[in-house]
Amino acid sequence: MPHERQDVLEITVTIEDVDAARLSEKATENATSNYSLNVSLAERDRSPDHLVLSFSLELTSQPAMARFKVSGNANLKGTKDEIKGGITAPDDNRPPPVLLEIYERIYSTIYLLAGALKVPHPMPNLLKKSS
Amino acid sequence: MKELLERYQRDYDRSSNVIGALLRTEGGKGMEVIMSKGWAKVGAMFVDATDPEKGGMELTFQLVTEMKPRISKTEEVLKTFESVESLPIPSEATFLLYLHSGLPERLVIDTTEAKPEGYAYKGDYSTVE
Repeated sequence: MPHERQDVLEITVTIEDVDAARLSEKATENATSNYSLNVSLAERDRSPDHLVLSFSLELTSQPAMARFKVSGNANLKGTKDEIKGGITAPDDNRPPPVLLEIYERIYSTIYLLAGALKVPHPMPNLLKKSS
Repeated sequence: MKELLERYQRDYDRSSNVIGALLRTEGGKGMEVIMSKGWAKVGAMFVDATDPEKGGMELTFQLVTEMKPRISKTEEVLKTFESVESLPIPSEATFLLYLHSGLPERLVIDTTEAKPEGYAYKGDYSTVE
């Protein structure tokens, strides 16, 4: 029986640097706080079936109680179309799929650090473009 | 590439004719008619000043021997090059061919088309429940 290749983009995320800071003595894990996220992705290497992106994410709570900076690399492996789909935002308000994948992979690290610093935990859910 | 191959072929044919003509006129004598005994080592080179005719023939024979694999390899690369030609390469493209010991080894294709810029993305988001 012929085997058809599944269209699956493989993404591997590697964290290279993490910086976490507690910005307020009044911060507690239970305090109400939203996090804003500033993100940048940049191409480092590319071949027809492979793309390496460096990423830098900075999460800052509002009000200012904590800040997390995470940087590293994301390796995308797939066909040209799969890779293109992975880095293309579906619309102006939603992030490209690769960013969701990066955030999902680094979330556990941020969650643990937030607990250690006794600051509010960022939400694990989807990201929404800041207005 | 085709010109290079034609040049190699011409050189090979010319040298082969010279060797062939000599062997025919010296019929029955065999390889000794093109093997000089006048070579002397001078520094990093061998010099033949005593039997220049045979010395020249020996070099021609050596050239023919070396040309055979060179022509064969160039023909093989030419087939590969025809595959490259089938790629969607703009007509104004320039080619840089690197020959190593006379053999085509590397090819650089340059076009005036704008090179794609590397992917970059920046954004501001907020986490949501």
